[in-house]
Amino acid sequence: MTWRLGVDIGGTFTDFALLDQAGQKLAIHKQLTTPLDPSAAVVDGINEILKKNNVPIADVSVIAHGTTLVTNAVIERKGVLTGMLVTSGFEDILDTGMEQRYELFDLRITYPEPIVPRNLRKGVFERIHFNGDIEIAIDMEQVLGATKELVETHNIKALAVCFLHSYVNPSHETSVVEFLKNEFPNLYVSASSEVYPNMREFERWTTTAINAYTRPMTDHYLQKLENNLNNLGFEGQLYIMTSSGGMLSPTTARRFPVRLLESGPAAGMLMSAVQGKAMELPNILSFDLGGTTAKGALVRDYKPLKSEQMEVDRVNEARKGSGFPLRIPVLDMIEIGSGGGSIAGIDERGLLKVGPRSAGANPGPACYSKNGENAALTDANLMLGYLDPNFFLGGEMKLDKRASEVAIEKNVGLPLNLSTLRTSWGIHDSASEDIARAFRIHAAERGFDYRNATMVAFGGSGPLHAMGVAEKLKIPRVVFPIGAGVYSALGLLASPLSFELSRSRRVIVDDIDVGMFSSLFESLADETTKSLKEAGVLDEEIRISRQIEARYFGQTHEIEVFFPEEESLENIFSGLRKLFEERYSEVYSFAVIDAPIEIINWKVIASGPEPDFKMGYIIDSEKSTKVEMAIKGSREVYFEKGGFQATTIYDRYLLAEGMEIVGPALIEERESTCLITVGAKAFIDPALNIIAELGD
Amino acid sequence: MEVNETQFDAVSLSILWNRLVSITDEIESTLVRTSFSTIVSESYDLTVVILDRQGRLVAQGSHSIPVFIGTAPRTLSYMLQKFPPDSLSPGDVICTNDPWMGTGHLFDINVMRPVFKPNGDLVGYTMSITHLPDIGGLGFGAAATEIFHEGLRLPIVKLVEQGKTNPFIIDLLQANVRTPESTIGDLVANVTCNEVGGRQLLEFMDEYNINDIGSLSEAIRSQSELAMRSKIQEIKNGSYKNQIMIEAIDESIPLVCNIEVKDESIDINFDGTGECVKRGINVPFCYTNAMSLYSIKCITIPSLPNNEGATRPIHVSAPEGCLLNAQPPYPTGGRHAIGHFVPGLIFGALSEAAADKIQADNGMIDLLTVQGTHPDGRPISTIHFTAGGFGALDGLDGRDCLPGPSNMATVPVEIWETITGMTVVSKKMIPDSGGPGKFRGGMGQEVTLRNDTGSPMTVLSMANRTEFPAPGYNDGHPGTLREHRINGKIIHPKGAHTLKPADTITLVQAGGGGIGDPAKRSREKVKRDLSLGLISEHAAVRDYGYKTSK
Repeated sequence: MTWRLGVDIGGTFTDFALLDQAGQKLAIHKQLTTPLDPSAAVVDGINEILKKNNVPIADVSVIAHGTTLVTNAVIERKGVLTGMLVTSGFEDILDTGMEQRYELFDLRITYPEPIVPRNLRKGVFERIHFNGDIEIAIDMEQVLGATKELVETHNIKALAVCFLHSYVNPSHETSVVEFLKNEFPNLYVSASSEVYPNMREFERWTTTAINAYTRPMTDHYLQKLENNLNNLGFEGQLYIMTSSGGMLSPTTARRFPVRLLESGPAAGMLMSAVQGKAMELPNILSFDLGGTTAKGALVRDYKPLKSEQMEVDRVNEARKGSGFPLRIPVLDMIEIGSGGGSIAGIDERGLLKVGPRSAGANPGPACYSKNGENAALTDANLMLGYLDPNFFLGGEMKLDKRASEVAIEKNVGLPLNLSTLRTSWGIHDSASEDIARAFRIHAAERGFDYRNATMVAFGGSGPLHAMGVAEKLKIPRVVFPIGAGVYSALGLLASPLSFELSRSRRVIVDDIDVGMFSSLFESLADETTKSLKEAGVLDEEIRISRQIEARYFGQTHEIEVFFPEEESLENIFSGLRKLFEERYSEVYSFAVIDAPIEIINWKVIASGPEPDFKMGYIIDSEKSTKVEMAIKGSREVYFEKGGFQATTIYDRYLLAEGMEIVGPALIEERESTCLITVGAKAFIDPALNIIAELGD
Repeated sequence: MEVNETQFDAVSLSILWNRLVSITDEIESTLVRTSFSTIVSESYDLTVVILDRQGRLVAQGSHSIPVFIGTAPRTLSYMLQKFPPDSLSPGDVICTNDPWMGTGHLFDINVMRPVFKPNGDLVGYTMSITHLPDIGGLGFGAAATEIFHEGLRLPIVKLVEQGKTNPFIIDLLQANVRTPESTIGDLVANVTCNEVGGRQLLEFMDEYNINDIGSLSEAIRSQSELAMRSKIQEIKNGSYKNQIMIEAIDESIPLVCNIEVKDESIDINFDGTGECVKRGINVPFCYTNAMSLYSIKCITIPSLPNNEGATRPIHVSAPEGCLLNAQPPYPTGGRHAIGHFVPGLIFGALSEAAADKIQADNGMIDLLTVQGTHPDGRPISTIHFTAGGFGALDGLDGRDCLPGPSNMATVPVEIWETITGMTVVSKKMIPDSGGPGKFRGGMGQEVTLRNDTGSPMTVLSMANRTEFPAPGYNDGHPGTLREHRINGKIIHPKGAHTLKPADTITLVQAGGGGIGDPAKRSREKVKRDLSLGLISEHAAVRDYGYKTSK
């Protein structure tokens, strides 16, 4: 029997999910993350989980890996000293940025320091016209001189090569990369046309700088990991998770480390989509609420929505706009500044506010008894009876309810003239409201109708808030999946090898013929498939999907238009206007305009075969024969309608297929507690997922 | 959430209020994504608001620029004078660009849509305002000597009647503007976003079972007023005065403000300010008022969502006919070139009373209107935005090249070149341009554009800070000056100029002012600025008394 192993390094824990080929047996394991050498926890954990389950390493065919390595390197500034060659006259683009404030009235706004300091950015005489013509040919002597100075005087280890309009004509960047390969073989060089060949110099150059900055460490890390796995006797394939929910071979991951940002959360979001497929739920709101942040994503027709924008290293209280704006393929995630550690307080208006400041895990909420004086969301959830002070993390950590009460009363209740109970409910409900609002605006901007969708909830606090959020959004159904404690690690096993690439090329549809239309996709298809072949995927296994970003001529924002995979490019081209207009009215829900259509970006996604991932796995535990036998007890729990009520507490591990639970109820598992609200009905499906239908 | 429609506590008010703001954000997002001009989509020269049935402002979008604070309720009341509420029907849309009824110049179109419940009850209004790419006349600039030169003035008019667009208005615009496609496209985007807004507002009311947002709106305003009053108390009581000189067209004119801080209220008047001039830089009072309210909000309750309540404790006045209260027919096109001085003027007056809160003045934003023909044959009329240095605050250096007080973003070089056919030759920060201080002002920059379109272009400069730099406060020094040059020769900073093919225009941006004595600046920071090339060795010695190793 062969096995596949998912390994997800998170901030606190490294999670492991071991699944057999038949999809019958799932084993999970958690290990404390080892920040100094993350590969140590990986190796220890692999040993541990294999030993516990009597699986020899030779039987493991795939290890799928997600890591926060790159994210942390950027936030903690642990990359290498990086230099930059740019079009002469534009050395300051990383400093001037968007030239816009992300907050209008707060004059004390801050931005992250550029990844490459000003004195390490050198101008090179060269110029490409926006139509792709070479206006000033590049001078390699000057390139050599500038690079020499950066390497010899400043001791840079990596270099970003960023020229204007290189997305139309990459030849200058490419020739610099080739040239430097010979001159400075040990220098890690990243070119902007390779990392993200799209318009907007500030974002493209920032993305390229971060790619260069994190390349050497990613290279070393993956080298070390491969060596360690070899030493263990691993002979299967190692895959690395990207932010867009696809896997890369280690070779490609080494070239594009920026694509590994936030790959753990992406795996969790992807897992929701896989869950949806198994349960025949095409439209999903994936919802993960952890200690410091909440994340969300939307799944339409079984496919998670994607985007090319993300922000990393927000320096000002997680405020949107205070980080680096990056352009890479990502699952289109919503970042919400709410988590179990979110601090409740009073805002400038004199009203209740929850987050975005967080008490994190240390000192954490007041109830953690680590001298945290702030009232956090978890404190409110404890006061309302949603959490059992003696069964937090399966009882590993005792919570101090009295400390929560004092913190809530002192910091929030008294100043706002509210009872502690009203305050606690207010904190809980405001957090749900903030999350619902973030989903609402995210969905509206993407033309996503969530009213018939299903929420899939995971993360430490997700299952507690899911039904509250769902009620606000009028979502009829919430799924609490099995294995939610290692959901990202599971997602790693469900993800195919895939590489995507987009390129800016502005074309008015009426001006081109089908030949040119096809040829613009061709080079993208070649490059993306090349990366898959490197990973050992056979030609006939590769699926290509194409899409464009287009707009009405004269507009400045584009919409994504996906092409049906099975359709020929000829047919797509002749029906392009119809495809565009359908999508346009879907997004903006208003009439179409009589204007030419302009294509801005061209995108190709090449994917390998879907992994052999079967649901239906179970985690070994004794199941009860009757639902009553799964009852752990009862306690007073607060609900907005009716106040405190005696509420039944169930042990999730004892619940068996077909059982039904009527809300109000709490279902406890080690990592989280599912809150079933008043009037809702939950039942256990054959895979042991809990499916809750909302009451009226 | 269960809501009592007339009584709110700190929980319910917070939730409902946030939700209303997020509706305005959603209207904004629709506006930005459907617009046809970079002025809206990249530079966010826009605002959107929700008003209650009584015409009072309830919520404003988070990205709405400060210029528009407080103008919408007035504009709405003018609109309702002409079209009383009981004459309005579902699907009506009303608009105007009248400077004195709207926002102070012809370029801003104000688009209002009443919101009706399915049963026919009027529940409120939504309004959006954007800066149009063109409105005819001379174009967006300061060169006009009368308002009649500045373009088409659209009196309050029903643009859409019960869902049917009035074709005459569209024809009228078509016939009068340089860029009919994008001007009309942006007008349509305004109509669309208000439709979205109305739908959202109704859904919100439905969800929380609210029949009338009147009492919610009153609660929001009272709470805001309370918050503002308590923060004003942190500013020392007293009478304060400040006078600065600004470059008008061919002369220098004083701007004067007198501020009376008394317990919970602030009175600002501009008595002593010079007279209007016969060029398009005169500032209608609505703009002066907005800039004044903006200044006080920045130093009191910056993160409070905008609404009328917060402005109640602040009284602003200016003598009629002065530069800051222009009357028709004085032209007002480039009103921002003068209006942007108001925050610095006020902060200067309060530099001691609120030393830890005020900002040294900004290098400000530079707007250059560009007209011509793209190499592909299309007409071009658009605005190039460039930011000077941001002013320093106590404890924080001013950021380099960041706009203030207004917040229009620059257009990326690659997009600018593509949409205009011009070449951006270079875009570089200017070392030593930020005002020295314990906390230094942000650096300015120098941007050079070349006309590579193959045909002559017209550029309209509206540059300020060409004679009077951004002052520093509390012993901080001023930043450097702004300058416009064509082919290296300095040009009139508020004139219309021809840019022949291959000509270059260079936009030198002013630095921000510093705060505190530069001698007290931390030596590490001076060293860092030196190593990054932001200041020269000469300046390190001269301005900061820095001892270099040489």
